[in-house]
Amino acid sequence: MSEMPKETKHLDEMTLLLYIERQLDRARGLEVSAHTQECDACRTLLRVLESESRLLTRAMLEEDEPLPSRLAQFQERARKSMQWIWGVIFGLAATGVYALYTTYIQPWQHQLEQAGFGGSNLLGLLIFQGAMWKGWQSMMTLLEVLAMVTLAGLGAMLFRRRIRRGAALALVFAGFCTVLALPTAVSATEHRGGQSPTVSKEETIKGDIYLTGERVRVEGTVNGDVIAAGKDIDIDGHVTGDVISAGRYLRIRGTVDGNIRSAGNTAVISGTLGKNITWFGDAVTVDATGKVGGGVTMFGGTLAMDGHLGRDILFYGDEVNVTGGVGGGIHQKGHSLIIGSSAQVDGPIRFEGDHPANVSPGAKLASPVEFRQMERRASYREGHYYVWQVIWAAAFILFGLVLFALMPKFSQEAVKSAEQYGATAGLGVLVLFGVPIAACIACVTVVGLFIGVSTLFLWYASLYFAQIIVGAVIGQWLMGRTSELWPLIGRMTVGLVIVRLCTTIPHVGGWVKFAAILWGIGAISLTFYRRFQPVIAPSVPSAPYAPPMPPNTTVGGALPA
Amino acid sequence: MSAPGMTKPTEAIARARAGDAEAWGQLYRDYAPAIFRFCRRALPTREDAEDATMEIFMKLKDKLVQYDATRSFSAWLYKVAANHCWDTLRRRRIRQDKETDDLENVPLEHPDPSQLDQLIEQRTSEEVRRALNKLGGRARMALVMRYYSDMSYDEIADALGVRRAFVGVVLLRARHELRQALEGNAALAAGGAS
Repeated sequence: MSEMPKETKHLDEMTLLLYIERQLDRARGLEVSAHTQECDACRTLLRVLESESRLLTRAMLEEDEPLPSRLAQFQERARKSMQWIWGVIFGLAATGVYALYTTYIQPWQHQLEQAGFGGSNLLGLLIFQGAMWKGWQSMMTLLEVLAMVTLAGLGAMLFRRRIRRGAALALVFAGFCTVLALPTAVSATEHRGGQSPTVSKEETIKGDIYLTGERVRVEGTVNGDVIAAGKDIDIDGHVTGDVISAGRYLRIRGTVDGNIRSAGNTAVISGTLGKNITWFGDAVTVDATGKVGGGVTMFGGTLAMDGHLGRDILFYGDEVNVTGGVGGGIHQKGHSLIIGSSAQVDGPIRFEGDHPANVSPGAKLASPVEFRQMERRASYREGHYYVWQVIWAAAFILFGLVLFALMPKFSQEAVKSAEQYGATAGLGVLVLFGVPIAACIACVTVVGLFIGVSTLFLWYASLYFAQIIVGAVIGQWLMGRTSELWPLIGRMTVGLVIVRLCTTIPHVGGWVKFAAILWGIGAISLTFYRRFQPVIAPSVPSAPYAPPMPPNTTVGGALPA
Repeated sequence: MSAPGMTKPTEAIARARAGDAEAWGQLYRDYAPAIFRFCRRALPTREDAEDATMEIFMKLKDKLVQYDATRSFSAWLYKVAANHCWDTLRRRRIRQDKETDDLENVPLEHPDPSQLDQLIEQRTSEEVRRALNKLGGRARMALVMRYYSDMSYDEIADALGVRRAFVGVVLLRARHELRQALEGNAALAAGGAS
């Protein structure tokens, strides 16, 4: 640069800027200094650039507006004072969980234990022991993986301050991979398909067998479980394990030593069942010749008990008709209970329904029927209703906190999506009504059963998540926007309290809740939709092009003018 | 550090680290005005700046353990603020691809010093602040980091995620944008006057 003729070659603006910013090395700086002493134009430009720097600094440092009152009042004390609110919320949520357990889960557990599911806790029973899901390996695996991921995520959250982020992630992934790499149990299984898959009379199957077809028949012996899917399923032989089935019609004329876990239209038990029946479907009939060693747990239409049952009946559905013997009690929530003259029930009978039980005078009952009128409306005038509302609000907030902490990006995107009112309303209607219909259709087919049930679970959970998203949006309206997690959770808390308050308004509350669910589900769906959209990569290079640097230059491009 | 009232509050920092709420309040009272002004200059709206200030101080609570007491606290605090503001702008996609393209071309103009001098001399601080609001996210961030918080080229490069060699280019480009915005303001003012 210094070799250039002075009258024609000026220093470029970049070099002069770097000079006044003291970013040039000493030699180059001396060159620039010498040049500007001789060149008027460059000296003037240098002076102007310095003036510009001063103007910038002055404009920026000038105290043109006072600290907003919102910031002046914001002190860490405010955050500290929130800690007891979180404590209260956690306490109330814990109370809610305990109440939920004692009101719903414990009686169920008790009934399930009596119905022969063993004496362990319900969570272990349902999920980890797999009593309910036995045979539904994919569901089991999914639940276990989800549980592991959740635990790993919570662990990482708890220890995030002590462990470096990379280390925490490595720990989580290592644990996750270890879980996935654990060898799965190997079992001897056989599969038979076709129009009429059959285990013939002479046959003895060692281990479990999978049978799929229009008409499934087991006439021989299976020393293991039978997992069957078909239109008509007949068990005329001997099964030493369980029968897990999905189909229209299930007939047990032979002997099953274990349990029946099934979903379908109708089951008729004329033979002998060693343990229990768990049935999701329309009708179960235990014929006069039928014997069931354990109990019946049923979610469906009608139960006709003409034979003998060793233990309890736990029934959620329409009607129970007992004319045979029941070794345990009856716990029913449904439309009607009919106990015929030939019936004998050795345990307590608790019936919650629309009308009192129809008990024949000749029936032998261990104790009178405890009848409770089914309550269909919440009592707005009772104080405990509002206490429960507070507890549920706390449980909602806790649920929201966990979801926001586990899925911060998704939650923030959903909150943002919620402000596109037209799209969320449209999608909300579609998903709120369309998904359960589609899931039920999927459940009709055997192959889609798992997908259908899983979708229903997710849809049901999203009804709650939707209200949380709406709460966060309302919180942002009131307290301003934020893109940070904890302030967003704070806004969600405030908004959710308002939403819950609105849902308690008599007559209107239900509509408010419906609207919130519709809106929130629309937002969640829109976020999902966007996530699955292909991302078009920008055409710009990922790193800026680096022009060649002249020697002895520390920064910028000291190129000749 | 150019910002006023930014001395090193060693004792307050140590106490705040130990969980002393009063010391934390003291730090907030001392530094919040400067950080708010930083955010006000860097972000598009006043509400954004208020939110960002609160979020920076919330973040600071966790980050305070990472502060190296041998270095300037205010420089460190501005670094945290700069990262936060730049993240905010980036998330909103205010940073545009065009700005990345600009880096490829080192501006080599030798502007007319007298015209430039006239432009700068006639402008008030208020006009400069208004013009700043019209700049792209990166340009504004670069100017604020350099001329408000006096951050070094290394720190600016680190915050913006560009190579150190390009910081000068970014700053010069930002000045050019600013001049255009100032000229636009002047033209608008002239048009409005006529």
